[in-house]
Amino acid sequence: MTAQALTMPPENDPADTSNARSETGTADAPLSFNHVSMQFPDGTEALDNVSLALKPGEFVSIVGPSGCGKSTLLKIASGLVKHTAGTVDVDRNHLGYTFQDATLLPWRKVMPNVELLMELRGFPAAERRRIAKEQIDLVGLTGFENHYPKRLSGGMKMRASLARSLALNPSVFMFDEPFGALDEITRERLNDELIALFMRQGFTGLFITHSIPEAVYLSNRVVVMSRRPGRILDVFDVPFDYPRTPELRYAPEFSELCGDLSVSLRAAIEN
Amino acid sequence: MTTAPVAKPRTYRAVPLPPPANMLQRFFTTIMPPILLGILLVLLYWWTRAQLEPHRQFLMPDAWSLWTNAFALPEVRAELVDRALVTITIAVVGMCISIPIGIVLGIIMFRFHVMERAFFPYLVALQSIPILAIIPLIQSALGFGFMPKVLIVALFTFFAIPTTLLLGLKSVDRGVIDLFKLQGAGWPVILRKAGFPSAAPALFAGLRISAGLAVIGAIVSEIFFLAGRGGLGQMLINAKIDFKYEQMYAALIASSALSISVYLFFAWLGNKLFSEWHESGAAPT
Ligand SMILES: Nc1ncnc2c1ncn2[C@@H]1O[C@H](COP(=O)(O)OP(=O)(O)OP(=O)(O)O)[C@@H](O)[C@H]1O
Ligand SMILES: [Mg+2]
Repeated sequence: MTAQALTMPPENDPADTSNARSETGTADAPLSFNHVSMQFPDGTEALDNVSLALKPGEFVSIVGPSGCGKSTLLKIASGLVKHTAGTVDVDRNHLGYTFQDATLLPWRKVMPNVELLMELRGFPAAERRRIAKEQIDLVGLTGFENHYPKRLSGGMKMRASLARSLALNPSVFMFDEPFGALDEITRERLNDELIALFMRQGFTGLFITHSIPEAVYLSNRVVVMSRRPGRILDVFDVPFDYPRTPELRYAPEFSELCGDLSVSLRAAIEN
Repeated sequence: MTTAPVAKPRTYRAVPLPPPANMLQRFFTTIMPPILLGILLVLLYWWTRAQLEPHRQFLMPDAWSLWTNAFALPEVRAELVDRALVTITIAVVGMCISIPIGIVLGIIMFRFHVMERAFFPYLVALQSIPILAIIPLIQSALGFGFMPKVLIVALFTFFAIPTTLLLGLKSVDRGVIDLFKLQGAGWPVILRKAGFPSAAPALFAGLRISAGLAVIGAIVSEIFFLAGRGGLGQMLINAKIDFKYEQMYAALIASSALSISVYLFFAWLGNKLFSEWHESGAAPT
């Protein structure tokens, strides 16, 4: 384990839940969207005046109706899509981004797949191997280094994809429905592993999901977006301490929060 | 209560796994069918030959005279080898021209959409011109040497290369490209590390087609160019002129063998390169 990987666990100060919809990008926010709007060249309005600032070490989830612009928001943060109004503050050199599907290169085995981003960044080969091995162990893929992606299960592909992003040790990590295609049990297990990684690596996380329990289980805050063009409708603070354990899923407060979120999301979909 | 339509359940029985095939069964299911068809074809040949009037039976030599008058003769065997070498040289040199040019054109068409617009109609046109029809023109322009034949092979084999490569490059996963772009990779890097590997199976399908056409192109060109010491195509014509039909058949067999082995070589190479990761490369059952 590198010293870097053992950085501080994320702060979780219950008092620190004040203003979710900050109107301007705060100086210490590792990722902030300030009045971001997006209109595609074909006229589709995807986002409408979205402002959201992530505090250092905070984990925020976004839920919202399908097609409301969640993926677009992440693409804007990464620079894959250029927004048409507002500003985004982020250090793109230390931004991790996992897509909705694993996007592994089918002609590369797991090991070189995990090395890919480091290779593109020009890391020396020996360092690449060392870090890749470390990340593969961390996501629990030990022993599968020499498997081609087609021989991995969906969950294993996602782990490889996570390892690939983790290798660059991002300070801000965005996840676009990474576990959407997985069964409930695998998803819950990967949630626990993600929390362990989050605590170990100390990144700031922005996570998109359609699963309310998943959003609550992982996050400090959950953002509810409206139908397209996406606006922020509601922000819920999640008061539970990290590390979160599976029993939390059956706690009454957990269910209550999920219920509130559910009501809010249903309103978002119906209006 | 609603009246549900009357259903008549049928019983579907379980299908137990068949026991693993033993050697004998495998022989019957995989090797026997082609052998049986082969025997059938030989019988058909023999029957057709029997229908011919005796003075025309030279058109279809029997196995014995094929052996005594062609394959058993050392000079015929030597000639076959020599001429096969000439033919394969023409085919290979022709492909050495068409493959790199085709690949470069494929890349250019991929990189610059305008170029695709500009070139594609002409590629299709090239494909639809009967190349045989321009051979006389090539002869008038370039004479009867080695190069015009190579050019004919290049024309025969060109089409499949840029088109399959372009198809392959265009089908590279968008997500993969985004992944590369996020790390600031330029298009040469994307082409090398994402484009080529993912287009390679499609390109190889094109190469297999081209390779078969290369041998055909070489033989066709030789049939048109009888001057000088030519390859198998010339041998075919010479055998006809000299009335040595056994030798013509020998040349025919050698040409097919050449064509098939070039095809098999590319099939083998493609399988070796891609079978481990590509969907089409599932291990043979
Ligand atoms: N390149 C594009 N051109 C035009 N419209 C687009 C483009 N990309 C996305 N859109 C539209 O923008 C809207 C938001 O898309 P986005 O992918 O961000 O939705 P999403 O919230 O991630 O949905 P899901 O939950 O289903 O993944 C959609 O209506 C989509 O049709
Ligand atoms: Mg999406």
